[in-house]
Amino acid sequence: MSRFSLDNESIAREIISRYPRPKSALIPLLHLAQEQDGWVTIDAMRHIAELTGTTPAEVMGTGSFYEMFKFHPVGRYVINICSNITCQLMGAESLLEHAEAKLGVKVGGTTADGLFTLEDVECIAACTEAPALQVNYRYRLRVTAEDFDQLVDDIRSGTARDIPEHGTLSLVRQSIPADRGAGIVPPEQAREVSVWMARNDAAEQN
Amino acid sequence: MADPLDYIRGFGVTFKKLFEERLTLQYRGGKGKPGKPDEKREKGLRFHGRHVLNRYEDGMEKCIGCELCAGVCPAKCIYVRGADNDPDNPTSPGERFGYVYQINYLRCIHCDLCVEACPTQAITESKLFEFSFTNRNDAIYTKNELLVDDNGKPRWLPWEDWRDGEDEHTSAWMRATSPAGDHRYEGVVAWSGELGHGVRSPEVGQSDSADESSRPEMATTEVEQ
Amino acid sequence: MTNTEAKTTLSVTIDGEVFEARPGELLIEACERAGTYIPRFCYHSRMKPVGMCRMCLVEVDTGRGPALQPACMLPCSDGMTVSTETPGTRKVQAGILEYLLINHPLDCPVCDKGGECPLQDQTVAYGPGESRFVEEKRHYEKPIPINDNVFLDRERCILCDRCTRFADTVAGDKLIHFMDRGNNTQVNTFPDEPFASYFSGNTVQICPVGALTARPYRFKARPWDLDETVSTAWTDSAGARVAVQSSRDKVIRLLGIDSDPVNWGWLSDKERFAFEALNSDDRLTAPLTRVGDHLVPTGWSTALERAVSLLSDADPDRVAVIGGARLTNESQYAWAKLAKGVIGTDNVDSQLADGLDPELVLGLPRATIDEACTPGGTIILCGPDPKEEIGSLYLRLRHAVVHDDARLIELTPTATGLSPVAAHSLHPRPGEVADLARALVEAANGGPAVSAAGVSAEEISSAAVAIDGSVTIIIGRASLAESADCVTDAALQLAALPGSRFLSALRRGNIHGALDSGLAPGLLPGRTTIEAGAARFADAWPSTPASRGLDTAGILAAAADGRIDVLVLLGSDPINDFAGRPLAAAALETVPNVIALDMLVNDSIAMAADVVLAASGATESAGTFTNLEGRISVCRQRVTPPGTARADWMIASEIARRLGFDLGFDSVESIRAEIAAVSVVHSGLDEKALAEALVDGLLIGGSGDIMVPGVVGVSPSAHDAYSLRLVASRSMYDDGVALRNSPSSRGLARSVTLRLNPTDFDKIGVDRGTVVRTESAVGRLLVPVEPDPGVPVGSAVLPWAAPGSPANTLIDPFSTVTDVRVERA
Repeated sequence: MSRFSLDNESIAREIISRYPRPKSALIPLLHLAQEQDGWVTIDAMRHIAELTGTTPAEVMGTGSFYEMFKFHPVGRYVINICSNITCQLMGAESLLEHAEAKLGVKVGGTTADGLFTLEDVECIAACTEAPALQVNYRYRLRVTAEDFDQLVDDIRSGTARDIPEHGTLSLVRQSIPADRGAGIVPPEQAREVSVWMARNDAAEQN
Repeated sequence: MADPLDYIRGFGVTFKKLFEERLTLQYRGGKGKPGKPDEKREKGLRFHGRHVLNRYEDGMEKCIGCELCAGVCPAKCIYVRGADNDPDNPTSPGERFGYVYQINYLRCIHCDLCVEACPTQAITESKLFEFSFTNRNDAIYTKNELLVDDNGKPRWLPWEDWRDGEDEHTSAWMRATSPAGDHRYEGVVAWSGELGHGVRSPEVGQSDSADESSRPEMATTEVEQ
Repeated sequence: MTNTEAKTTLSVTIDGEVFEARPGELLIEACERAGTYIPRFCYHSRMKPVGMCRMCLVEVDTGRGPALQPACMLPCSDGMTVSTETPGTRKVQAGILEYLLINHPLDCPVCDKGGECPLQDQTVAYGPGESRFVEEKRHYEKPIPINDNVFLDRERCILCDRCTRFADTVAGDKLIHFMDRGNNTQVNTFPDEPFASYFSGNTVQICPVGALTARPYRFKARPWDLDETVSTAWTDSAGARVAVQSSRDKVIRLLGIDSDPVNWGWLSDKERFAFEALNSDDRLTAPLTRVGDHLVPTGWSTALERAVSLLSDADPDRVAVIGGARLTNESQYAWAKLAKGVIGTDNVDSQLADGLDPELVLGLPRATIDEACTPGGTIILCGPDPKEEIGSLYLRLRHAVVHDDARLIELTPTATGLSPVAAHSLHPRPGEVADLARALVEAANGGPAVSAAGVSAEEISSAAVAIDGSVTIIIGRASLAESADCVTDAALQLAALPGSRFLSALRRGNIHGALDSGLAPGLLPGRTTIEAGAARFADAWPSTPASRGLDTAGILAAAADGRIDVLVLLGSDPINDFAGRPLAAAALETVPNVIALDMLVNDSIAMAADVVLAASGATESAGTFTNLEGRISVCRQRVTPPGTARADWMIASEIARRLGFDLGFDSVESIRAEIAAVSVVHSGLDEKALAEALVDGLLIGGSGDIMVPGVVGVSPSAHDAYSLRLVASRSMYDDGVALRNSPSSRGLARSVTLRLNPTDFDKIGVDRGTVVRTESAVGRLLVPVEPDPGVPVGSAVLPWAAPGSPANTLIDPFSTVTDVRVERA
């Protein structure tokens, strides 16, 4: 639970190789760290700094800007209940209270079994379907107290199959073929147009 | 050449004064007046005497060592040095406290500007002026001598003539940060909720027209009077 | 002017007045030059603008009507109209201040910045007077230490990005960063990773609020009871300009002064906090004389009588003077006159085998720091790590390389603080840097590249290609475990590069002033030799030495042999500073009489001194300082010396008088007048010129009579397979007597480790951190060992003067290189 595993380290190196400057890979590497441990550990940030030639302070400074990177342990399922105006009018407050009662934790807390972390969040852009919540960033819309109980039970019983564990992001692992890469030459030094840009230009001209 | 009679005229003034009423006043009374000579006269409401350094009720010192009093002092008689509070055993609230505090009474002119400048009402003045010293070291009051005791009363130093009840007097200060001398601020504590030692309200009655209705609105803590 | 010519100025209308701005000049700078101050927090003239604070918003009209623009981000353009005092500008300034004060605590009486705070001042000048914010302010834990000397109070921070920008772009130590976001944005370090920068004090100086405070100054005084004077930092040879601030006759703070040719306002923490040693309780307040094993305080007349009787009894050839880099130019001249003119010895050396051949330093064509930092030029580092030894120089060089496209080629035995930004880092084997230099020069001049000194031909040829534009070679002692002759030969090889100039990186304080004052064997003041310059001194001096004397290594060897009767330690500590501790110890054991002038009792004094004369420090006496460029700047007296301590020149005058000769000095000005009269290079040194050059100093150019020495032709002995070649290099914080006596620097000396290449490390077969026996021909040390890939195979790197493990124990000053065997203890 700390530095990248050997497998993840090789993925990290591959991610770094996609960018002109290693530092540009900070965000995908933070995702990778979160995918590995569920949150971004101190040692993972140190490891990222070593891999990208930056300092740990820079890694943490970059990562801590983003709410979705967690710098403290969270449950395997992070439930975000929207607390903004539309959801609030449609009963988000009572939903939140119900969630607190159901899970037995206050907002920001994690259940004793380490399964759930409950958070209230700002608008998640689902006002038409209020009240809305996300579980590991997968939406549940027009949620009632019963829906919430059902959701929790589904996750506990393993039937909510569309919800991955916290931290999982498929895009970090995407495999980019050489002719689709942006090229590792810094843009200002690029003398040749990369293959994919040339193809796009050609498509536009046709 | 001076007129030789001037000598005689000069002595004439001396001779005449021998039989006139004396202008030198005793504490009280004097020749032909009631009261004993060592009784103190009542002092004016805003009389400025020897300083005291105050504490909060819980015993914490009010002085934060900011040196504003030393900065404003026209006689340059105050020497202050701040230091870091020990977080586990603080001397004053906050980070900083007055580590050294000295007033040189051979220089002090009792103008009270230090009292006005103090942001925490740490320094105020008593009405005591009956203190005389026989060496320079005694004239330089140190922090221990200026600081009020555990009961919030000024310490009575051996060379000072304190009488019972006198350690209740203050110099009826006004805040420099309010419009200077504006009577409408009389009795308003403008920064901290407490005054003097412990919780004590500011003195009122300095001006005739001080009343609640004329007082401007201030975001302050008012002390019940 | 034809249309094809580029316009050299732009017309900008500032509050109705037309002003000619320079192309590319930022509006905020142009307004300042025009006499209109625009309030600002984040903008700093020595860093790139970021437009963080919005305080400098002014109404700018470029033909499309007035609009609010940040003056720090806007380059001037022709025809621009700027209004800095319109109601709109005033309103936004008041609004920004009200906004900044939403979370800024009003604890000004407690805050160290109160009284000199830009936020306080600008709130009074431009602020709204009252805030509409009545809610609770943001709270953080009050000051948290971000390193040993700097505290951070995040409540006071207004997020101007000055400290973090400094750490990133100027110092290159990105150890503080904005964390979190929105209302919670804060500057912080990584957990358990302090802001371990040699330059952290600068962030305190540039912080526009009281968020960053430095331990040595914290709560010591308020700005209004500080007295200030201009002076020069004395701990290294960069000659950084400083403001010395004191309260109640005690120096309590040093601030950097922005001197354009020198330090740009930056200081290393060592320069900034070194004054603490002068305030040490152990300062000498009276002369000492030896009674038995003890040094006891005595009066000046007793001490001087004793010193004078020792000097007058000795044969001049058996008197020697070591040291002098601590002294001001005037004191150095007075001591040169006393030693060489009155006493009549030429056994005078201000370097302790830790420097270079004086004739090399003075004879080669010299560069200024500005010339070394020419944009697009080439810098060849054949010397010490500037980050460890000369902090202000490091910041200038780093700026040139990172921001001005200069190329750095390192010819150093190990990686340095500049290696991360260097174009080419070539690491020759110890003692063989001259071979590498020859190969590099041959390749640069079109010859074939051949491998040399363990560096491959490919590396040499690619580095040679990079040599272009103005070429500055920084020379100095990268390793004190190899002879100075190695650097001499390398420098003479590199001198063949067309247009090359040299910048000497001798570290020790006013060492360049000492060389200019003739405190070296064979030299006289004013960059001349005892042969060439004798005639000029015929009137001013009673005599000049007839033949060349001994250098420090020679003096100590002679002393150990019993051929020196009186040794004068002019602010020097041979035991710890001489490159060869066994010889220094033997010399001090043997020499019968030692006279020392110093501020603190160092190890050599404690061991051997018979008379110690209490000297005043840099802030306690007036004078001038010569930096590594040859730039003379003033050091002014700010406080009185402790007790009866005196300026070094006064002590020289007094000794001379008791020896029967009047040096003729009654003030530093009278000494300067004599220097200007007798020296060919110092003829421009007059009081008016010095006063006019108060900030930037007077550059003293030319080599005088000094000729460049010939190639020594060093060839280090063959390297046997069992031993490693020692590299002993200085670090910023070591066990020097001044640092021992400054509380904020004392704990910063890194614990000593012997660093080996992992290959060599594996051969010993011990764990990292195990104590090993390191043995040379002359001495032995027990030190922990650790692997470091930055160290070349076959080398062993040991910090100089580390607490408890002095590297000079292992060094023989007369051998070219130092081979050590590293074995399990």
